[in-house]
Amino acid sequence: MVFSADAITAPCAAGGSNALFCKNMATSLVRKTKLLSMVSSQLNSAACFRNIHCTAACLKNRAARIRVAKGDKPVTYEQAYHPHHIGHRKGWLSQHTSNLQGEDGAAERVVEDVFIRRFMYGTFHGCLADEVVIKRRGNLLLICAVMIQKLLPSKFYFLIGYTEELLSHFYKCPVKIEMQTVEEKVVYKYL
Amino acid sequence: MASSCSQALRHHVCKSSRILQEIVIPKKKTWSKEAVLQALASTVNRDPTASDYRFQDDPYLTPKTSSEFKLFSLSQESGRNAAKYFISTYPKYFQKDYAQPHIPCLMPETLEAQIEEVSEAALIERIQMRKVKAAVDLYDQLQQAGTPVSLDVTNQLLDLICFYGDCDPAQENVPEQRNEETEDVQDEPQTKKGRASKASDKLKAAWKENNNAERIFALLSEPNTHSYSALIRGMVKYGAYSKAFSTYTDLLNNQLKADVSTFNALITAAPEVKEKYNEKWELIVDLLKQMAEQKVKPNLLTLNAVLKALRRCGTVGKSQAFPVISEMRALSIDPSLASYNHLLSIFYKPGAPFQGQTDILQEVMNEVSGKSFTPQDPDDAQFFITAVRICLDTKDIEQAYRVHELLGVGENWRLLGNDFQQNIYHARFFSLLCMMENIDVVLKWYRDLVPSVYYPSSNVMRDLLQVLDTDNRLDLIPQIWKDLKQLGHGNRQTLVEELLTLMAREKQNQEVQETFAECALDIKKMYDTGDRGKVMMSWTAGSLSDLVSVLLAAQRRQDAWEILKLFKTHNRVPSEELLDKFLTCIKESGDVNQALELVQISAGFCLPGTPKLIQRVQQEFLLSEQQKSMLSDLEIQTFNSD
Repeated sequence: MVFSADAITAPCAAGGSNALFCKNMATSLVRKTKLLSMVSSQLNSAACFRNIHCTAACLKNRAARIRVAKGDKPVTYEQAYHPHHIGHRKGWLSQHTSNLQGEDGAAERVVEDVFIRRFMYGTFHGCLADEVVIKRRGNLLLICAVMIQKLLPSKFYFLIGYTEELLSHFYKCPVKIEMQTVEEKVVYKYL
Repeated sequence: MASSCSQALRHHVCKSSRILQEIVIPKKKTWSKEAVLQALASTVNRDPTASDYRFQDDPYLTPKTSSEFKLFSLSQESGRNAAKYFISTYPKYFQKDYAQPHIPCLMPETLEAQIEEVSEAALIERIQMRKVKAAVDLYDQLQQAGTPVSLDVTNQLLDLICFYGDCDPAQENVPEQRNEETEDVQDEPQTKKGRASKASDKLKAAWKENNNAERIFALLSEPNTHSYSALIRGMVKYGAYSKAFSTYTDLLNNQLKADVSTFNALITAAPEVKEKYNEKWELIVDLLKQMAEQKVKPNLLTLNAVLKALRRCGTVGKSQAFPVISEMRALSIDPSLASYNHLLSIFYKPGAPFQGQTDILQEVMNEVSGKSFTPQDPDDAQFFITAVRICLDTKDIEQAYRVHELLGVGENWRLLGNDFQQNIYHARFFSLLCMMENIDVVLKWYRDLVPSVYYPSSNVMRDLLQVLDTDNRLDLIPQIWKDLKQLGHGNRQTLVEELLTLMAREKQNQEVQETFAECALDIKKMYDTGDRGKVMMSWTAGSLSDLVSVLLAAQRRQDAWEILKLFKTHNRVPSEELLDKFLTCIKESGDVNQALELVQISAGFCLPGTPKLIQRVQQEFLLSEQQKSMLSDLEIQTFNSD
């Protein structure tokens, strides 16, 4: 719907008799575009927001940050430091080589990681003291988790055997769990 | 000088080039895929502070007693079984194959037979899935439908039925009823005395009369060697020994030749069908001769079967064992660990006295030292246990060290057996060490083996205490007590009482006595707390006295006084020496009231030594008038009661 006034006036510039007609048409066209721009500016004013979003909302300012609150919320080291501290004060939670030059499969690794984290959270419900660290060494998938001593050791071993077997069959690669237990969640500070 | 150097160099080069005329290019070495890992593994020794590789490396999750070990490994296994159940019930979620190359063991197993129609292919499938009953039913259906089943497939079916004894593998634990056939066996039950308990016999199914194997065999028009072989081996495995021999005669009547596994089975069955040692041996020799006639080559399992049969042949076995081995050697059959195991069992019968056969073990160890064995026979796993039992019985520590060394060679650790057998091996080895070696060596092995590989039982710990006693290292008792508590033996009455006696026996120097006192108070706590259904220990007069003596020796009069009161609460009577000792201790501190209370306690128990005590108090202590009168009253009382 956007008219380019130049494109229309250009071919009419040849004939002189047509000049007046062209000039009239040009002025009417210019008036129309001015009208259009006025209308669209009105549309974009504070009264109505109805734009189409074509990209996902990233919210990069709010991801993985726990905001400072009253001072009674216990927060672990992992939670206390924000994402821009990764590589400086924090390590990586997921270690694989797909992000190197010339390697592919990064997206698949991310999806696997998300599934594994949800699986661990659900299987060892209420026992996870901190985020799960996932390391990949060759074919081996190593899941490192810190647990609270909430269950009896025999129950822990049952869940470990179950998880290793199920995830090995699911991902067709050997899966090992390395577990460490603490008595209660290790609090870094209170926010 | 430079020119002379270069001249010498040129001369040297000429000489060497003349020698190195031919360059031999060596053959390219191919390494297996795990070669690097194996090389790395060979650089690392076992870590004596870590627990078994199955467990997580965390103090909360490491097993500390043998029951915990079993519990944790079993719970891990049951977790795996739970996952396998889900995988086999919902296989469609596990079909996507990421692995390149394909890993078959990570794909879901198909537990149900796929081919439904009545055909030979379906029969083959059920045989491969080890479904005995389904296969037999399908075979019957095929027979009724009139479809001919090939001899190969029928032989495979016979193999399946005879191997599993006509019941499905999962139901092996259900004891079958014994039928008359097995009781007809000529062997008297007396000869079965040396064998394993009857419980294991009942668990194995018995060969039923006219079961499916025999029925299908009878249906065969032309049974061949394989069919006879399957039937005979099944009969021998499930105890129908005389039937096996009659089937063998059938085979000979049909002018067929038997194969080597048939002969092995018959040799295994030979001691069961004859009674006297000579007859057994003659039957075996007869079978071997027939084997030679039929030109069947014996193999390792033949040698092992002969040796195992010779175990039941008494003195004949002893004379014939070595000739058998040398003959088999001549046929280039090398004995495996199972053969050596049988050999040792022939010469060293458990419980029998030895008459100068001690060098056989040495010869066997000379043969096997430094060699790495692979599993070739199920009885290979018995070798180490038998060897260490013999070392324990003959008290031969040198050979025991050699046996233990053999365990470290190459792949031999695989032949130690399952957890239960490993426990037996380590228990015997450690008991032998406790018997023969001095305390330093024992402690070195103790720190090496316990608790990473072996969780000692209370008997073995008692042996350890004896070694401490013999070598006069009683100062190590508090450490051993800590280990005992951790191993879960802290509430075993005999062990604890022995500990107390050892601590109370002699007076040690001051620091050791202090540690003893701490240890003794800790032990007292074990008697008090009976939480969570643990076995409660009860005080005896001896243990209480020992406890009091230990505390007195460490100058802890107050604690000892508390314990003395326990005598009354637990209805035990203290001895006179104990009260005497207590009085001496009280005298050192000079507490008159306590002395009087002691005398009153003694009077309360109506001990015959009370007058002596009273006299001692009157003599050694400075008494007030009131106290003197009290004492004289007591004296009259005791005098009257006598």
